[in-house]
Amino acid sequence: MNSLSYWAVLFVASVRNIFTHKLKSAVVGLLMCFGTGLVVTGTALLDSMEDSMSKSITSSLAGHLQVYSAEAKDELALFGGMMMGREDIGRIANFEDLERVAEQVENVRAIVPMGIDIASITGGNETDRVADTLRTAVAARDQAQIDLLRLQLSLMADALRSEFEAKQAITADKEALAADLQNLDRLQSDAFWLSLSDDPELAIQFIETKIAPMSSDGLIVYLRYVGTDLDEFTKNFERFEIVKGEAVPAGHRGFLFAEKFYEDHVKHKVARDLDRIHRQVHEEEKTIAEDALLRTKVGQMSRQYRRISFQLRPDDAQNLTSELRTMMPEVRAKDGAEPSLEVLLQAFLEVNDQNLDERYAYFYESIAPKIELYKIKVGDVMTIRAYTRSGYLKAVNTKVYGTFNFRGLERSDLAAAANLMDIVTFRDLYGLMSETRREELEQIREEVGAAEIDRQNAEDTLFGGSGQSLVAAPEDTAGFDEFRGQDLAGIREDLAEAYNQRFDAETVARGVALNAAVVLEDPDRLDETKAALQAAFDRSGQPMKVVDWQTASGIVGQFIIVIRLVLYVAIFIIFLVALVIINNTMVMATMERTTEIGTLRAMGAQRSTVMTMFLFETVVLGLLAGVAGALGGALFVTWLGHVGIPAGNQDTLIFLFGGPRMYPAFGLANLAVGLVSILVVSLVSTLYPARLATRIPPVVAMQAKD
Amino acid sequence: MKSLAPLFVVLLSAAFAPRAAHALGQSEVDAIVKELDERQRNNGDYKSLVYIEQKEKNKNDLIYQAVVYRRDEDDKLMILFMQPKAEAGKGYLRIDKNLFMYDPTVGRWERRTERERIGGTDSRRADFDESRMAEEFDARFVATEKLGAFDVAHLKLSAKKGVDVAYPVLELWVDTKTGNLLKQQEIALSGRLMRTSYYPKWEKMHSPSKGSDVYFPKEIRIFDEVEKGNQTLIVMQKVDLSSLEANMFTKAWLESKSR
Repeated sequence: MNSLSYWAVLFVASVRNIFTHKLKSAVVGLLMCFGTGLVVTGTALLDSMEDSMSKSITSSLAGHLQVYSAEAKDELALFGGMMMGREDIGRIANFEDLERVAEQVENVRAIVPMGIDIASITGGNETDRVADTLRTAVAARDQAQIDLLRLQLSLMADALRSEFEAKQAITADKEALAADLQNLDRLQSDAFWLSLSDDPELAIQFIETKIAPMSSDGLIVYLRYVGTDLDEFTKNFERFEIVKGEAVPAGHRGFLFAEKFYEDHVKHKVARDLDRIHRQVHEEEKTIAEDALLRTKVGQMSRQYRRISFQLRPDDAQNLTSELRTMMPEVRAKDGAEPSLEVLLQAFLEVNDQNLDERYAYFYESIAPKIELYKIKVGDVMTIRAYTRSGYLKAVNTKVYGTFNFRGLERSDLAAAANLMDIVTFRDLYGLMSETRREELEQIREEVGAAEIDRQNAEDTLFGGSGQSLVAAPEDTAGFDEFRGQDLAGIREDLAEAYNQRFDAETVARGVALNAAVVLEDPDRLDETKAALQAAFDRSGQPMKVVDWQTASGIVGQFIIVIRLVLYVAIFIIFLVALVIINNTMVMATMERTTEIGTLRAMGAQRSTVMTMFLFETVVLGLLAGVAGALGGALFVTWLGHVGIPAGNQDTLIFLFGGPRMYPAFGLANLAVGLVSILVVSLVSTLYPARLATRIPPVVAMQAKD
Repeated sequence: MKSLAPLFVVLLSAAFAPRAAHALGQSEVDAIVKELDERQRNNGDYKSLVYIEQKEKNKNDLIYQAVVYRRDEDDKLMILFMQPKAEAGKGYLRIDKNLFMYDPTVGRWERRTERERIGGTDSRRADFDESRMAEEFDARFVATEKLGAFDVAHLKLSAKKGVDVAYPVLELWVDTKTGNLLKQQEIALSGRLMRTSYYPKWEKMHSPSKGSDVYFPKEIRIFDEVEKGNQTLIVMQKVDLSSLEANMFTKAWLESKSR
């Protein structure tokens, strides 16, 4: 028998056996089909997800590669790591040097300097805000404004008094409460407002120190920001787009809020809550009546009424009161009297499924224009504070030019994790010490001449002497003039002038950065360019570390690895189960075919022929089932690619999917991986039964005949 | 209060008279704490030029020269930074329980808490303010010990209910011979030791408004017990007990200095 005939016979025998043992073939075939489909679908989804996430990350914040100091203590984590944004990633002393090297490397399109840090925006509460406005009004002798503010403060005092009186029965510190009530009386007295003209500063101080602490805490927003070359950033990160306001003009200091962050953290608390409830009802199809969490949210929101009432001007408050009375005639005060604005606002905010849309519209139409809808408005100059690397709090004023989004990632918190600021202001907040400042500090230190003491020996050094009294009479310094030779105003003026100067591209490039994003011409050559860039930095003597976008993303970049791992473990378990089932089925089938195999052996078939026959049979079945499974998987992925997989409101999914929906696609590689893995599993699971079959002696067949 | 001063001295002498290792009674302990406050209190105004230096591991040193203004009678404190140039004009203003910080760079005031690290150093508002330990804490005796060559009384102070202090527990080591505070440890609510401060040099000056001497620490050395290796030095370079301007403890006054 020639070789071709031999394989032809084996093939015919395999097909015959497959159809003869239908049940076995069906069980094994289905398992193989399912396994192949799973591998094709799973790997195709993962590849699509990796591709989408790569686009999310590379086109929003990371670029294709990131460069940072090789002497860094922590790993770079663009989307936040274990140090919650305070990672010590060293620094690039002069970005210009880095840029010069990177520009020589082929395939590098651009390198953008960055510095990531945490900062805070703070502000007083509503009373502080009114006190500030009062100070300005008094300075401007604007009596009309002063009268309005007096009314506003009086309304605030009424609200606080009713709250404190309710507390009177339960408070332990009755003395403190009585003092607070007395202060409220004083605020509303004519004598107090007369004293405003005698000594305005003292009167306003009374409001700031006695009245303001009675109200809730003021504004405090912590934000993560990236200080960068905003022009280069805009040019090289394709998904970047301005939503509100405008881009920061070249050469200007400025700040851009991530739109989602601005809506979620800077917007008025009541508006935010109302937006959230409205979104959940309309987009997630929840109902306030049935969703307990939503009901709790409504309850919490209605208790925030004072955030509205305290911000209203007295005339607006009056108008709103009558409008709300007309809108909700059923609302009455506890004693049945006409309800106050606060009672009405609380009732207004107690929304339900029936009135939500109407009240949402009314809020934005009639209430929002009368309150501070955003604590910081586009166009405002805000004070941003951050801890410098020396550990002290530094503040700068920066103009908010607008808000931005990364296209497709509008709903992702991760994409909105960082706001943007010019790198020159970042450097101010970073607080690197200049040589001039170092010299200045040394001079002050020398004047005092205090000795440094080691902590370990501090007690011996300080108290180890004779035990005699340490009290001395000081030198006569009475009447010293701290302002002699000091021109604080002049110093501030010089500093302000330097701060407000426009800067050029050279200033942006020359100076500190913490990391830099590298954007490539051809992203497919990422590994090759990464190696070339690393080699170029090594040659130039700059100790830099070059990492790809996935590593630079921190925990976020590892998501995909974790998901892939979970899928592989799931596939491994499924294949292990399949392997056992196929193995058992084949062993049973072998037992059933003892006579047939014995006969074949009696007719002169070698053991290797029996083994080959069994394996061949599995390969044929595997191919048939595998192709069916792969086709099934491919069809399923194609369908998903057509309809898209929604990310819902899951922030991580939006980011992983590169937008609100992912449209997956499969490649030949996914089909090949599916087929090959199922064939390998099938062959391995047939080895034992095939070996059993080869051991069946011809005599068994004869005995069976007998 | 002035008339009670001699009584404190008598009580203090009585408390330390035996100089032995036996326990001090509660009245003696209270007298020591009261005397610590009393000798540092000035009935009139107070002004001092202070040098503050902060050393932190792997960070640049922070160095400031500032003027501290106090009007203890009205419970007011103000700190105005004079040097270095970048910090000149910054300041703190305390009125009652409110602590405000002013930054002329941004022209704004901000509320701060009792835990505020003055200028980012390990010093707190209380390090520059009038001593109010008897008013804010309940004291108890721990032991008589040796601190270097000095015999000291070791006391433990716990914050009174409802009083806002930076740390709720203090441990003091007071020189039995002079009644000077030599060492102080501040402990958080969790029991964790936060700071150890040493007061190796004291100076006294006659106060016309008080009619007796006012004591002040010439030097305070603060060691951070959480971030080991961090330390702050405060040196009172000059002190003046003359009367200050009538209405200077205001935001407007502090702002005007850098405008």
